[in-house]
Amino acid sequence: MVYRVSHVTSYRYAQAVSICHNEARLTPRTTSHQKLLRTQLLVEPTVATHDRGVDYFGNVVHWFSLQEAHTHLDVTAVSEVDISRFQAPAAALSGPWEHTRDRLREDRSAEALAAYEFVFESPHIRFDADLIAYAQASFPRGRPLLEAVLELTRRIHKEFQYQPGSTTVATPLREVLRARRGVCQDFAHLQIGMLRSLGLSARYVSGYIYNQPKEGARGLTGADASHAWVAVYCPDFGYVDFDPTNGVIPSDEHVTLAWGRDFSDASPLKGVILGGGEHTVSVAVDVARV
Amino acid sequence: MTQSQSQAPSYPPEGFRYAPRSSVYDEAFVPSGEPRAHYAELWHGVEELGPPEISKRWEQGRRLIRENGVTYNVYGDPRGMDRPWVLDPIPLVLAAKEWNDLARGLDQRARLLNALLADLYGPQATLRERLLPPELVVGCPAFLRPLHGIEPPAGVYLHLYAADLARGPDGGFWVLGDRTQAPSGAGYALENRIVVSRLLAQLFRDCKVERLAPFFSALRESLANLAPRGREQPRVVLLTSGAYNETYFEHAYLARYLGYSLIEGADLTVRDQTVYLKTLGGLERVDVILRRMDDGFCDPLSLRSDSSLGIAGLVRAVRRGNVTIANALGSGLVESPALLAFVPALCRRLLDEELELPSVATWWCGEEPALRYVIDHLPELVIKPAFFGPHAPEPVFGGALSVEERAELARRIQARPAAFVGQEQVALSTAPVWAGESVQPRHASLRAFVARAGDGYVALPGGLTRVSSSRNSLVVSMQRGGGSKDTWVLASGLPSSLSLLKPAGGRIEIVRTGADLPSRVADNLFWLGRYAERAEGTARLLRSVIMRLTDDTLGARSPELAVLLHALEVTTEVAAGSLTGPPGSVRLERRLFELLVESDHRTLRATIEATFRAGSMARDRLSADTWRVLTQLHDQVLEFELRQRLELQDGLESLNRLVLGFSAFSGLAMENMTHGPGWRFADIGRRIERAFHGARLVRSTLVAADAPAAFEGILEVADSTITYRSRYRGFVAFEPVLDLVLTDETNPRSIAFQLVAISEHLDALPRSERGVGLPPAARTMLRALTSIRLADFATLGRVSAGGRREKLDELLACLETDLPLFADQLTLSYLAHAEPSVSLGTLEDKGV
Repeated sequence: MVYRVSHVTSYRYAQAVSICHNEARLTPRTTSHQKLLRTQLLVEPTVATHDRGVDYFGNVVHWFSLQEAHTHLDVTAVSEVDISRFQAPAAALSGPWEHTRDRLREDRSAEALAAYEFVFESPHIRFDADLIAYAQASFPRGRPLLEAVLELTRRIHKEFQYQPGSTTVATPLREVLRARRGVCQDFAHLQIGMLRSLGLSARYVSGYIYNQPKEGARGLTGADASHAWVAVYCPDFGYVDFDPTNGVIPSDEHVTLAWGRDFSDASPLKGVILGGGEHTVSVAVDVARV
Repeated sequence: MTQSQSQAPSYPPEGFRYAPRSSVYDEAFVPSGEPRAHYAELWHGVEELGPPEISKRWEQGRRLIRENGVTYNVYGDPRGMDRPWVLDPIPLVLAAKEWNDLARGLDQRARLLNALLADLYGPQATLRERLLPPELVVGCPAFLRPLHGIEPPAGVYLHLYAADLARGPDGGFWVLGDRTQAPSGAGYALENRIVVSRLLAQLFRDCKVERLAPFFSALRESLANLAPRGREQPRVVLLTSGAYNETYFEHAYLARYLGYSLIEGADLTVRDQTVYLKTLGGLERVDVILRRMDDGFCDPLSLRSDSSLGIAGLVRAVRRGNVTIANALGSGLVESPALLAFVPALCRRLLDEELELPSVATWWCGEEPALRYVIDHLPELVIKPAFFGPHAPEPVFGGALSVEERAELARRIQARPAAFVGQEQVALSTAPVWAGESVQPRHASLRAFVARAGDGYVALPGGLTRVSSSRNSLVVSMQRGGGSKDTWVLASGLPSSLSLLKPAGGRIEIVRTGADLPSRVADNLFWLGRYAERAEGTARLLRSVIMRLTDDTLGARSPELAVLLHALEVTTEVAAGSLTGPPGSVRLERRLFELLVESDHRTLRATIEATFRAGSMARDRLSADTWRVLTQLHDQVLEFELRQRLELQDGLESLNRLVLGFSAFSGLAMENMTHGPGWRFADIGRRIERAFHGARLVRSTLVAADAPAAFEGILEVADSTITYRSRYRGFVAFEPVLDLVLTDETNPRSIAFQLVAISEHLDALPRSERGVGLPPAARTMLRALTSIRLADFATLGRVSAGGRREKLDELLACLETDLPLFADQLTLSYLAHAEPSVSLGTLEDKGV
């Protein structure tokens, strides 16, 4: 399935900004089932410096800066990706979840060390006894890993209310857990926190979701904006994605942009400005089949 | 230790009967009570001086420290800002041989940690080879992923390294902890040396003590060699996290000693992936940054986005090789206490050497056997966080806990074992400390420093010795109120006589422009000038008013009282007419007190606090004396708070002292600051303030035709009564009064005088823009000054039908508009780069 994604971020400033530095993770990754066909990043006004590179987690990053006074900034990323249908492995074959936990602690292969990155607390993820308590119901002794994670994904989908505006990026996980509501970012952080506090490796994935234009049918939540979900490391299968906001294992409707330990590693666009006074920002995302 | 009063031999002298404890090593004495060989000379000298003399010199030392402004900020204590540094007069002495062994061990340890950083920020072989549990890296908050893969110049991460050392009962040294990202204390060690070598000048010479200066010149040379482009005169700056840091004094002190600009994050900007210093003269390239800021805060774009201290784009500039940071960003990774457990094996693998300087026995609870050991031996251990960071638990002495508390601690460790280490509780050695009237043993630990030189590290011969605050305390920490000592390493050869104040080799170009003054500092000095003038003016007015209210002979009913009260309203921006009432009016007295002691908007107290804040932000530009006067003024304001009830008379006394303090401050600023751009900005600030209040006062009093009653008062406020009397005898009239306060360019209190002075400053400031014609600020100032010079007294004095001098009103109204306009224009052309940076929130931040 080929998708064309356009992601436009527009800043408007009350006063002139004299200098601005940005870091963009707006280029989709290439994965085992996602191929990047073409991609383009447009910045207006013209940038003074631009660097393209790869960060610690292998995400493509564009660093750019503007050094002339400006009162607006438009960043437009347009990409085409070809996504093949992801066939989730039979959950029952994934082995008891404790095996994954123990193996992560022991294995020093490059693959296992890379997965070990995603076992610890990170800037947006703090462990908490309540997180473990919630997760444990889905993780009885000996249960196959993927089966347990899928059930946890569905429980979050069912028991938490999707409510834009109910949280901010600063809302702590325990608060999300208490209020049982939030947005995709919160649910991803929440599930990651639960999995990691059990000793499992879970990473944060940022991207988009395709919303099929069907008459009267309810599409997937999180379309027309950037989306976030979770990938869990399973030694014999690699990483398997789970989308707690929709309660599903993504197949061929999730476009992967970047990943990291949490939002702070993978946010699509970061910036620091000098001056500017009050500013407004608007984001427009469009995912279309080609 | 017990002292028996019955034995009182004549020798050793009273106060020197020193009894080391038997259970620990004493630095100065063997258990039988004889001084150790390397202490003999010092101790003999100390005994010869005798307790009264030591006591006297100790007092001298305390005074020197206060006068030099040596301070240490204690967190969580509102009065903890700028607490005087505590220094014991008796140095810690180390023998040459012992020191050489220690220096070798420190060099090895610094090379080891440097090699470990190179591995962890590179191939991470130590993780794959199981020399280090990966948790200590990927689970450590100090592992900065954006720095992975960046190799610093010559592979050097650590330019300055410090170790906290303790001597165990067997006399051997142990490393308690490593300081790798921005080690503090070397500056205090230097200051301690300067003070103690003066107190004990003769003994210092007799003992042949190794000098500290060569270490600092090695550090300076090594930093100069780091300049990425091998520039002739590379610009090295010292980056501080600001005046609220606990060791800010040291930042300023070291910057001055090493000859670097002391700068904050807001002084720097990254353009074209290169770091620049924002100065009055424009942007100046920075080659090397010696940082005293934790690395996570250094770049709000690539590191912690909640940092308001850092420099956006710094990590990119580092990656491009356009700037070198010492120590390298990310070096904090190897100061985790958890690492201590793995150092010996790492040393064999990375250096192919046996570890010379052992770490104190440490168990990282993230490993099962270590966890069991720690839980089973809690009473003998100190429990510390495995990593430093915002969520790190406080160190706990297992032995000091009750059974229940220990069980609770065990539960906390078992819940998150990887977050804790257990460390053997070392019986720290003791050293003799002067306790006011006698010498007592106190626990001591030494922070030792090495700097990169060539392929290895040279040690600072000495270091910062810290001692516990009381006889029984085991905690050695400046935060917990302990003291410090100078550390003497006895010379093996002849000590070098190098001093950094006379740099050896290479002529230094004489520089007088001062155009590289950071804009932020100029901004702070500008406000220091404004606030100081405002505070002094308020204090003088309050004093004049209270003097009249408390002393009948001065004529409480005199007409000038009304003018003085009105001037006070103008200066403090309270509503016109709010300060009225007959003498003895309770309401008026209460209002005056509020202006003195309350901390709202523009009371005297608030203004003095603002003066102090502006001063502390530009502290490295003020002389020690100036800073001391400012501190005293601030202390006096703090005293207000302690008084339950003030009498008018008490207020008068305070005001007298404050006015005197401000006179000293102005005098020092005039006489002791080099007349460069910094001084000019402070003076412009002062004169703007004076001219503005002058204009408002004259406008609100002399425009009304029935002014004569106010003449005396205006002269007094403008401090021009004596000049007036000497010129015009007793007769007070409108025109001479107006001339003296408005147009007379020879009267230092007149408005015209202020404008002339400001114009002169403007001419002398560096100019960055090359445009044709006058810059806007100079144009505004010229207009204001010309309007006064062209004023015609006959016209100004003409009274309209409504009983007002309309032309005078017009002239002063223009001044009231022009002066703030001028201040804005000045800010725009010189200080605008001082604005803070803002992190952009993306829509994702609000949650999708």
